[in-house]
Amino acid sequence: MALIELREVTKRYRVGEQEIRALDGIDLTIEQGEYAAIIGPSGSGKSTLMHLLGCLDTPTTGKVVIDGVDVSSATDGRLAEMRNEKIGFVFQSFNLLGKFNVLENVELPMIYTGVSKKERRDRAIAAVERVGLMDRAKNTPLQLSGGQMQRVAIARALVNDPKIVFADEPTGNLDSTTGASILQLFRELSEQGRTIVLVTHDSEIADNAPRRIEIRDGKIVNRAAGFQSGIHTPPPPTA
Amino acid sequence: MNFANSLAVGIREIWSHKFRSFLTMLGVILGVASLLSTFALTDGMAKASREYMTQMGGVERVNVIAQEVPQEQLLLADTSRGRTVEDAELIQRAAKHVSLVTPWYTQFVPLVRKSERLRAYIYGVWPDYVPINRHTVEFGRNITQTDLDEGRAVCVIGTRVIEQLWPEKPNAKPLGETLTINGKPFKIIGIFQLYENEDNRIARLKGKKPVLTTRKGKSYNPYTTKNTAVIIPLTTFYYEYRAANIVGVVDQGPIPKLDGLTIQATDPEHVQDAIDEVSSLLTQTHRGVDDFTFDTRQELAESIEKTAHNTRLTGGLIAGISLIVGGIGITNIMLASITERIREIGVRRAVGAKSGHIFTQILVESTVVGIIGGVLGLVAALGMTHLIKFTTDGASLPVIQTASVALSFGFAVLIGVLSGIYPAWTASRIAPIEALRYG
Ligand SMILES: Nc1ncnc2c1ncn2[C@@H]1O[C@H](COP(=O)(O)OP(=O)(O)OP(=O)(O)O)[C@@H](O)[C@H]1O
Ligand SMILES: [Mg+2]
Repeated sequence: MALIELREVTKRYRVGEQEIRALDGIDLTIEQGEYAAIIGPSGSGKSTLMHLLGCLDTPTTGKVVIDGVDVSSATDGRLAEMRNEKIGFVFQSFNLLGKFNVLENVELPMIYTGVSKKERRDRAIAAVERVGLMDRAKNTPLQLSGGQMQRVAIARALVNDPKIVFADEPTGNLDSTTGASILQLFRELSEQGRTIVLVTHDSEIADNAPRRIEIRDGKIVNRAAGFQSGIHTPPPPTA
Repeated sequence: MNFANSLAVGIREIWSHKFRSFLTMLGVILGVASLLSTFALTDGMAKASREYMTQMGGVERVNVIAQEVPQEQLLLADTSRGRTVEDAELIQRAAKHVSLVTPWYTQFVPLVRKSERLRAYIYGVWPDYVPINRHTVEFGRNITQTDLDEGRAVCVIGTRVIEQLWPEKPNAKPLGETLTINGKPFKIIGIFQLYENEDNRIARLKGKKPVLTTRKGKSYNPYTTKNTAVIIPLTTFYYEYRAANIVGVVDQGPIPKLDGLTIQATDPEHVQDAIDEVSSLLTQTHRGVDDFTFDTRQELAESIEKTAHNTRLTGGLIAGISLIVGGIGITNIMLASITERIREIGVRRAVGAKSGHIFTQILVESTVVGIIGGVLGLVAALGMTHLIKFTTDGASLPVIQTASVALSFGFAVLIGVLSGIYPAWTASRIAPIEALRYG
């Protein structure tokens, strides 16, 4: 069984009289160990899709199976457990807690896992070392550069050893050099076998990922170019 | 998530907005402070009243007092001799529920020793007068039956009399010395102990100045009257002041009517029984003339307790309202702080916090506000009651009881918990993506 499977997934929002089809019949499979980029123009539904994959939200219709668990109709608590144990997020705006230092930010997911204080500290140190920021461990996010903040966010995403890491425009707030180093970090993680889903509107950035999932108006529009592995998405439905 | 972590986060959140948190707590602080102060003041007043009442003879002490003869008995009035020593003797013999009895006379007279003078009430009494009025003869002895039988010119005096008449050595124990009462020498056979309230006594024993001081800095004691006591044998008093009644140059004869008749019931439960007995005995000796009645401390005792209870309730209610207002303040600030921290809530949800975790976190935070506010309120109350101790010249020092502290503090914590429920519920209901999208 694939790590991620979506079948006929739709996500609709109702704004007054109008119905917005943010996702409109998505079928998608992502295998363990894949590095995939979801690409599309603004408003195409990338983030909405990532939220479903990342158990932050549930679809209006259709089925989402993550690591063998059908999360389409899971309870709020079950979704939280999935996010906690199997998923790591990296956001465009870093989303670090300003009142906590680097180590404390990285420890955050483990607080909800119920890891002991000592182990929390040890694992946070290991994760911060992994992203090369040990010398800034006691700094608060405001004392860090954008690139450093994003490294902290990555350390936090990795600290619970998740199956999948989702990154929504992780380089969007960074200059190109810093962005490149972050992308380099993702490539290394991928080489180490971590499943990574990168969300971007930038084709060049998407080129970092071996697999490309293009989305437009809530639909997947073509097969990914270049290297692909495992089972693939079906051809996009013709309008 | 463990509780310790919520607590740490809550404290950090409060600490990071020190001033705002303090303002939030202010309502609780004032509420707790006024609640505890009210309790302390009321308890202090009640304690002082009880102490005073006990010193004055407790509820067992009953005065048989004269009253005007009712209209329909006016023609009979002459057949009664009023309260007499015979009445006292009859009560002593026949009333089962009366343990002590004393008839008494009193007169306001000059006391002289060398060049020192003092005007005071002296009492002609039986020995029982001393225990009935909770007097203690500390030096020397009480009046005895022999003193009465022989009509000796002896007296037992209070410490204030010595202070006034022996100003050069106010701590003197002039046993055996002579005191001139209304021109006639009396031998001092006994000295009463110094009467004072508990706080004063403790302070004095510790070698400190009395706790109770007037603004002029003079030592103040609500038991002044008791300390100014002068008692002499009833018979001596009678011969001196009542045996002859010279109006102009004519002796109108002796006056056997007592000025007072005081009994003590065997115990507080039998006060009414004692009154009933004495009443039926005196109805016989007074030939049915309704010229006496009873003055008890029971009503006073009840009114002390009732006043204390009512003050507690009223003060508690007002303080309670200010605590509730404080709670509304907490709710308000917590709601604002949630809007401010919605992004943080989103991040916590994204990394695995369940809605219950968010609920707990907010609730713990408001509870901590309640606890800290409660502690500060207790400290403020202690300060306030201490201040009262230094400024008051009254008899009733505030008394802080453990139960009052527990009640005030418990109420603050409860307010903290209750005021957090709605904000916590609101915060826990925010969907993760909504929270992440915000701002
Ligand atoms: N909560 C919502 N209510 C209404 N419409 C929504 C909501 N969330 C998303 N949408 C709509 O769904 C569509 C897809 O939004 P989404 O955020 O997934 O786009 P995106 O591809 O991530 O765009 P961008 O590159 O700008 O981030 C948009 O038209 C958006 O307006
Ligand atoms: Mg987006």
